[in-house]
Amino acid sequence: MKPPATEVTVTPELLAALARAAGLDKALARFPEDVAAAAEQALATATAFTHPTAPEAEPWPPMRVPAP
Amino acid sequence: MTEPHWLSAAEAARAFAARQLSPVELIDALLARIDALQPKLHAFIRLDAEAARAAAAEAAAEIARGRIRGPLHGVPVGVKDIIDVAGLPTTCHSRLRLDHVAAADAAVVARLRQAGAIVLGKLATHEFAIGGPSFDLPFPPARNPWNPEHHPGGSSSGSGAGVAAGLFPVALGTDTGGSVRNPASACGIVGLKPTYGLVSRRGVFPLSFTLDHVGPLTRTVADAALMLDAMAGHDPADPGSAASSARWFGRDLERGARGLRVGFVRHFHEADMPAPAETRAALAEAARVLAAEGAEVRDVTLPGLNEFAGVNRVILTSEAFAIHARWLRERPEEYGALSRRRLLPGAFIAAPDYVAAQRRRAEMIAAVAEVFRDVDVLLCASAMEPASRLDDPAETARTYPRQARTPFNVTGNPAVAMMAGVGASGLPLAVQFVGRWFEEATLLRAAAAFERATPWHRMHPQP
Repeated sequence: MKPPATEVTVTPELLAALARAAGLDKALARFPEDVAAAAEQALATATAFTHPTAPEAEPWPPMRVPAP
Repeated sequence: MTEPHWLSAAEAARAFAARQLSPVELIDALLARIDALQPKLHAFIRLDAEAARAAAAEAAAEIARGRIRGPLHGVPVGVKDIIDVAGLPTTCHSRLRLDHVAAADAAVVARLRQAGAIVLGKLATHEFAIGGPSFDLPFPPARNPWNPEHHPGGSSSGSGAGVAAGLFPVALGTDTGGSVRNPASACGIVGLKPTYGLVSRRGVFPLSFTLDHVGPLTRTVADAALMLDAMAGHDPADPGSAASSARWFGRDLERGARGLRVGFVRHFHEADMPAPAETRAALAEAARVLAAEGAEVRDVTLPGLNEFAGVNRVILTSEAFAIHARWLRERPEEYGALSRRRLLPGAFIAAPDYVAAQRRRAEMIAAVAEVFRDVDVLLCASAMEPASRLDDPAETARTYPRQARTPFNVTGNPAVAMMAGVGASGLPLAVQFVGRWFEEATLLRAAAAFERATPWHRMHPQP
């Protein structure tokens, strides 16, 4: 199942709030276009794969291959 | 005898043992070639000629006394500059790390030295193995020896360019989304990403903890096996290190393809990311060659390439931001523009999305394992197109993500990219073979069978 396909517009206000919450005040001031593109990309990427819904689907440990 | 700079590691080691060549003669020949080609290719960030000459003299003296440290005795190796070499800076090709000097060898460098290898220097990369090719960094980007106007792939770009150009026979690279296999593909050599956890990452600057692999770049499949023999092994200091006793990865190189079951993942390059005709033809020819050599080739289906890429991107950017958060907050202007743009998205990935990516990853690992119940190796695309021009960032941005390497960072399967033709542009085309976890010996058997049956490994660029 894909995550909710709600259209989210990254307004300047939302971007500023998100960037400050992430501690990126300086990056926002110096490189606002990079920060805006990063936020847009993050939103787009999260919908690029199926999100498992089975409660028991375990992600931990995050990388494990069977012992040889 | 073959010109010294085109000797493989195995050939050089045999020539040393037979007293036909000394490590000093080889180092001197390579240093002369580096002197001539470095201004054109920029493969090195730092050449350690003095230490390499001293180590070669010591190796030669040991040979004279009948002492051979290991199968790489006297063999020069280049090291990607995110991997620590004691006493040398590990700059990560970044101005943020210009003053960092490694206190100790990375585990993989220590292992290579134990096998007798000689460190020749530190090699160009994309900044922090993610931001490149770029011209706004403290060192220039490496260039492709087949045509220096084109990029050599990345992020192990100096490793690929230098091995292909005959500056050193073997090199170390790292691979988080394909960064060993990409330069191997672009430069027409062999790049091996081992099984996740088989090679220690201790002393390697991380990009993404659960996707990072260390692997060799070589000109022959036999050298990839030789390097992996020296590099592999459990390391309790690496939390991702596997308790594997896998060894002798070259044991099946001579067995040929007869009886191998090969799964051909056509949908990657035919449907998911349609490749140009020359890439399709190279892949079809690889399948034909393997069948002619006695393999049983059948089509198989994996999860889609774009979904693999999405999972890889969410995991990579999340983990990479965690690593770089302090610097991105305090010193964002010291990154190159590409690094900054590729690292910042991790700040905006929501925790549930990161967890969802890891959960989906587990499903993808299971899906690939299911396919491997019926086949021994996979054949699929590596790059969809040859390397683009360095002065065409738009074309680089378009073609760079068009590849089929990230699936096997997501799943951890071992994978080899190698040359499979020459495109209309005169640049190499490549294919990729993929194996079951820890079954590098079978993977390299398939790659060696393809290598023996085709002429591509005998072609060298003339930079």
